[in-house]
Amino acid sequence: MSTIALSIGGEAVTTKLAMRMEDSLQAFAVRAACFIGELDVPYSEEFDGHDFGATHIIAYVGDEPAGTLRVRWFQSFAMPERLAVIQRFRGHNIGQLLLERCRKLAESRGSNMLYAQVLPADVKYWEKQGWRRLVAERADDQRIVGIVRAVDPSKPLPDVEAPEAVVLRREAQLDASGLPLGTASN
Amino acid sequence: MTEAKTAGTTNRPVVTIKLASTSDELMQCYMLRAAVFMGEQHCPYWEEFDGNDYTASHLMLYVDGEPAASMRVRWFASFAKLERAIILKRYRSYGLFVPFVDWARDFCRKKGYAKAYLHAQHRLWPIFERMGFRQVDDRVFHFSDHEYGAFVCDLAVDDKTMPTVFTDPMVLNRPEDRLEMPGILEESMDRGASNPHAEWTERRAN
Repeated sequence: MSTIALSIGGEAVTTKLAMRMEDSLQAFAVRAACFIGELDVPYSEEFDGHDFGATHIIAYVGDEPAGTLRVRWFQSFAMPERLAVIQRFRGHNIGQLLLERCRKLAESRGSNMLYAQVLPADVKYWEKQGWRRLVAERADDQRIVGIVRAVDPSKPLPDVEAPEAVVLRREAQLDASGLPLGTASN
Repeated sequence: MTEAKTAGTTNRPVVTIKLASTSDELMQCYMLRAAVFMGEQHCPYWEEFDGNDYTASHLMLYVDGEPAASMRVRWFASFAKLERAIILKRYRSYGLFVPFVDWARDFCRKKGYAKAYLHAQHRLWPIFERMGFRQVDDRVFHFSDHEYGAFVCDLAVDDKTMPTVFTDPMVLNRPEDRLEMPGILEESMDRGASNPHAEWTERRAN
């Protein structure tokens, strides 16, 4: 593994969990800059309704929000997603720093597996970081690849499956407007 | 809220402009600004979110319900200051800028402001001049990597309809982008005045 920068241009690199409203806004702003501003993702896809059931980790360079990662919690695994690093801070392994913070957080919560969904082109990178494909064989038409790694590297993962379709969908208890089903307005 | 005129049967996008009035709409506004200023123009977070967002009104423009453009308005005693006007990249060919600024100017005018003021990036000066803005003086200043000039535009305030202290109090209570329509507090008048805290105040007075 490559080394993770502890400072960039004399500014300390730190991470924290979003605890206050302003922290969350910083996490969201970093994602908006990267996904909406750079990659042209529509707002309604980027902010998909899962943000208020998730944990947000933020990386700072000095006091500037530089990167973020969202972690969703499932019974048998923790799911890091929406990894974003502001363009001018790339190349310093801030992504790895965020993922390591996520791994430690999952460990402290007693989770033993991390599960993520990545683009086929990025699988090699993730494999170098200690991840492996959930399903060993590669399907030709795969648009998204499920990958897993053990929270504790000394304890190999049991054979478990996290069905991809389940986690890609909006949470089952939400209808299209994001309101819980069965509320008075339905 | 304003729906742009669209011919009944065309498949032209529906454009809606309104004052951001919920925390979700405010969040949409901030995220569009983060996308454009931080993502495209590489502005630092603390310069973009400069501490003035909670003293301002925020205008949102939607295309088919999707957040597409936003603008911030701050209120000074003698003028309204238009700021942080952005259109998301994918909507920039829609010709939204002029109607959006017009809507903002009209909003300021209806509130009784006779002047709209803004700091225009140098490259946009001709557009603002075509829209009836004039440069305040020949100062050119710069912040956040861009050169600016101060521009102002006179607004034709209607003395008869602009809000004053003599305006119907319940009109002043209405949502500010819909001053001509009854608001939720007018509905509350049906409940009458039970003055639930009168006793408490009497106790304090004695």
